[in-house]
This record gives sequence, C-alpha cells and structure tokens, in this order.
Amino acid sequence: MRQQFKKTIMDLAGHDEQIVLLFGDVSVYLFKEFKEQAPDRFYNLGICENTMVSVAAGLSSQGFLPYVHSITPFITERCLEQIKLDICYNRFPCTIISCGATFDYAYDGASHHCHNDLAILRLLPGMEVIQPGSRKELDLLLRTRHGSGSPAYFRLSDYPHELDLPVAFGRGTVVLDTGSQATVVTAGPILGNIVEACSDLPVNIIYFTTLKPFDAELIARYSHTRFIVIHDAFGLHEAVTSCGVTASYHGLPDTFLDCYGRVGDIRQRLALDPAGIRNAVTAFAGEL
Amino acid sequence: MSEVAKKLRQTILAISHKSGRGHIPTSFSVVEILLAVYNKIRHRPVEPLWDGRDIFILSKGHGALAHYTVLAEHGYFPAEDIFNLGRLNSRFGCHADRLKVPGVEASTGSLGHGIGLAVGMALAAKIRKSQRRVYVLVGDGESNEGSVWEAVLVALNRRLDNLTIIYDDNRSHSRGLQIIDPASNFRGFGCQVFEVDGHDIDAIKDALGIPTDSVKVIIARTEKGHGCRTLVENPYEWHGKIPDAKEYTMLMEELDATTV
Repeated sequence: MRQQFKKTIMDLAGHDEQIVLLFGDVSVYLFKEFKEQAPDRFYNLGICENTMVSVAAGLSSQGFLPYVHSITPFITERCLEQIKLDICYNRFPCTIISCGATFDYAYDGASHHCHNDLAILRLLPGMEVIQPGSRKELDLLLRTRHGSGSPAYFRLSDYPHELDLPVAFGRGTVVLDTGSQATVVTAGPILGNIVEACSDLPVNIIYFTTLKPFDAELIARYSHTRFIVIHDAFGLHEAVTSCGVTASYHGLPDTFLDCYGRVGDIRQRLALDPAGIRNAVTAFAGEL
Repeated sequence: MSEVAKKLRQTILAISHKSGRGHIPTSFSVVEILLAVYNKIRHRPVEPLWDGRDIFILSKGHGALAHYTVLAEHGYFPAEDIFNLGRLNSRFGCHADRLKVPGVEASTGSLGHGIGLAVGMALAAKIRKSQRRVYVLVGDGESNEGSVWEAVLVALNRRLDNLTIIYDDNRSHSRGLQIIDPASNFRGFGCQVFEVDGHDIDAIKDALGIPTDSVKVIIARTEKGHGCRTLVENPYEWHGKIPDAKEYTMLMEELDATTV
C-alpha cells in the first residue's frame, strides 16, 4: 500500500502545490523521487512524532495541506494529544498516514503492534478514520478526501486484500447477501481472509473502509439479523454497536501478544486465518 | 514598572477578582514581554488576519489573562469583555480559544504544544518565501516537556531564523524540575541566545530587534507575580488562587506602591 500512497500523492502533488509531506524517518527512501521533484515540500523531520504532528498543524494553519507519515503506534498513540489539540481542537486539518497496521510488524514485538489506533482516533471530534483494504481503495479514498478540510487518518497495511469492490468514503459495501440471519461485519485487509472463509457459508458479509463517519444506514438495513464483527483491531466493533445494535466480536484478546512471527502466524494463533474465521462464523451461525 | 504595565496588572487583578478565574502570578510575569512583542511585531488589530502580519503564540497557555489584556490594550476588543472570563458563554477562557478571540493564533493550554505549532508556522513562512516572523513564548516549567526540545531541534535543523523563542524564566518550577541554566541549554542546541530583564520593555524590544542567522532565544528573567509582594513571596499558593475582597484590596495596594 505504501507504493500506492506514493503514487497517489505524487499525482495529487503534481496538481496541488499546497501538499507538504512530513516523515518520521520512515518510508523516506520510497519517496526519494518526490523529494527530488519538490524539495521544499518534503521533510524528514526525524524521530519526533509529537513535534511532527504539531509542525504539521502549524503548516496547516498557514494554508498548506500536510500529510504526516510514520509507523502506526508512533504516529497515533504516542502523539495522541498533539492530534487531539493541535489538529482537531485548533481545526488545523492534516492527514495522518500510518504504516504497519496491527501485526504487520509482528516479528518486532508488542512495541510495534498497534490495534487501538482506529478506536482512539474515532473518539476525536471531527476526525475521519479510514482503513482501506486494498491499493485501489487507498487510491480512491485518498483522492476523495484530499483537501476536504477535515482531519483524516488513513491506516495502511503491507498486506492488502486483492478483492475489487465498489467502495466509497463513508459508505459500507455489501460483499455477500444470502438473505441469512447472520451478518459478518469487517473492515480493512482482513476481508480477504473472511471472503475466503465464508463465501460458501449462509451468511451476509458487509465491509467498511470508513470507520468514521460510519455508515449506520447499512447497519440498520441488516438490523433484523445478528451481527458478528470480525476485525484485527479495536474500533469497528464499537462503531457497529454505537448504531444501537448488539454484535459479537471475533478478533483480538485483551492482552499483549507474547510471540513474534509473521502476520500470517499471528492471525492463525488468534483464529483470524481463514480456518479460524470459518470455525467462528460457523459456530456463530449455528447458534441462530 | 511602566504605567501601562501597572494598568494591565490592575486590570488582571480586577478581572480575576470579579470573574473568580485566572492565573495571576504567571500572568504578571509576562506582561512586559507581551507589551514588547506587540509593540514590535507587524499586526493590525482591526484586521487580525491581515496577510502581512507576524505571528505570536502563547505556548504557556495559562498566561492567557495577560495576553487578553495586552490584545485589548491594542484594540482587538474592549477590555470590559474579558470580565466574563471563564463564564459559560464568554469568549474568554482561562486558556485561549483561537476561534473565539481575535488576535489569538493558536488555542493552547496543554504545555509543550505551542512551540511545535510555531515551528510549523515558521517553516510555512520559509516555504512561501514570506517575510513573516513567528514569536513563541514558552515557560520554564513548560520546558520540562520533551516536546519543547524536540521543537527546538527541528527549528534548528530547518534553519528557522524567522523564529524567536521567548523563555519566561520566572523560576516557577523551583520545587520540581527546575532548569538551572536555560541559556546554556539553548546555546548547547545551537540557538542564538540573548538574556534580558523580562520586566524591562525596552530591553526586550532591543533583543527582539537583533538580527540573527539562526533560531533566536530570548531568556527573559522574570518574577512570578511581579508587582505584588504577596504574589512574589507565595507563588505556589497563588498559582490559581482568586483574591477575595480583602485580598484584592491588599494586592491593589501593593501594586499601587510599585514605583512607576
């Protein structure tokens, strides 16, 4: 997805001189070409995420459109107060783009895992929270929200799904409707595992790329069914239940992960691989 | 103490007494700094968003009451308006909201944020090749925050010679993590540092006017509660304390006794 981020931003920057990119010493080499083309709009500020967010807000106050990029926990959890006050409270809109979603960097240990970012950023007034699942979705959503005047958070993963779905900002997508009384709700790249696990099961699948603003209408359309949220992060389950429905959750435990490995290993351990998801959904549907 | 500085301190005391809100000692430590800054920078009170203006950020946001009185002195709004400080529908809070108060460029309060915003604003001026200068007032207690020093590092790395950091050295944190020699600290980072009496308006203005080719830091040696003996001698007790009628009279008398 980072390649797509670069491609889309370079295209946008070719038409909009207000774009300024700030990097926390991450993905810097990837954007070498951008730096060469627009040296006064590319800044590797170093490893100081708090200040990077404040600086971005300061640039925004002067009419620039800053994009701030670093690894997920560092550019969300570490600098939460700067996002809350300097960007949201001051209404100096910036776009935060993270990489390394959830267990992308499983092998680096819990310091590099991040599953609370979507949940906590959803709580900030005015903040848009977007989790594209594929390169194509990232491209579309980034273009849609560029220059919107709202602060936005995009969560990128190195393990996108390969599905081609009609998505739109703020709208959910019906992936599968079997008329079932069981509805699987998900967001982001994990959709790939869910489709692989459930495409022949008698369940509905609805999919979100935007956790805020959240498409409550789509949840309402399926409110006669029972929901199971399957997500490798926190935030989606809260968004669904905020619509006034109850929903089961199949995803992360309330504990730090005490192992390493690769994202696939972790998903298997947490029953978020296709086999584990199939078991969970079958059990859920069987309870109906 | 200048006539105007004394008058503004009287206004601060009156507002605090009447509204029951405000941080008096910290406001008293920055009155002359704010008077000097607004005397020196390019700004238009009748056109607060004038494109040719310089920018001032109060990073130590709890000095807002002093900031309000100085802005009122310059005609941004009537001083009478501030007497509603902290009330439900007032424009004026104990920490300023930029969307409510003309002349306030950033909403601050949580310490260690305003300086990072100021660095971004100064960087924006550099990118635009603008003559705009950015001034930010940080507190010594505030400078316990690591983000203050992160921002200094970034400002130096980006060679922001259009940024002036004014450090209110009122020794407010002597009971905690006092920074003993801030001038050496800033010099060690690579800033161009000037030390002044923070209650001498002319000295501050002179320091503001010195051209530099790097980030400028003005260490303003101040007294928390300057102008009232009781406040100076009991800064912690009075940090957020509001004077009752008797105390208000006493503080006004102490202020009146100060030589102009």
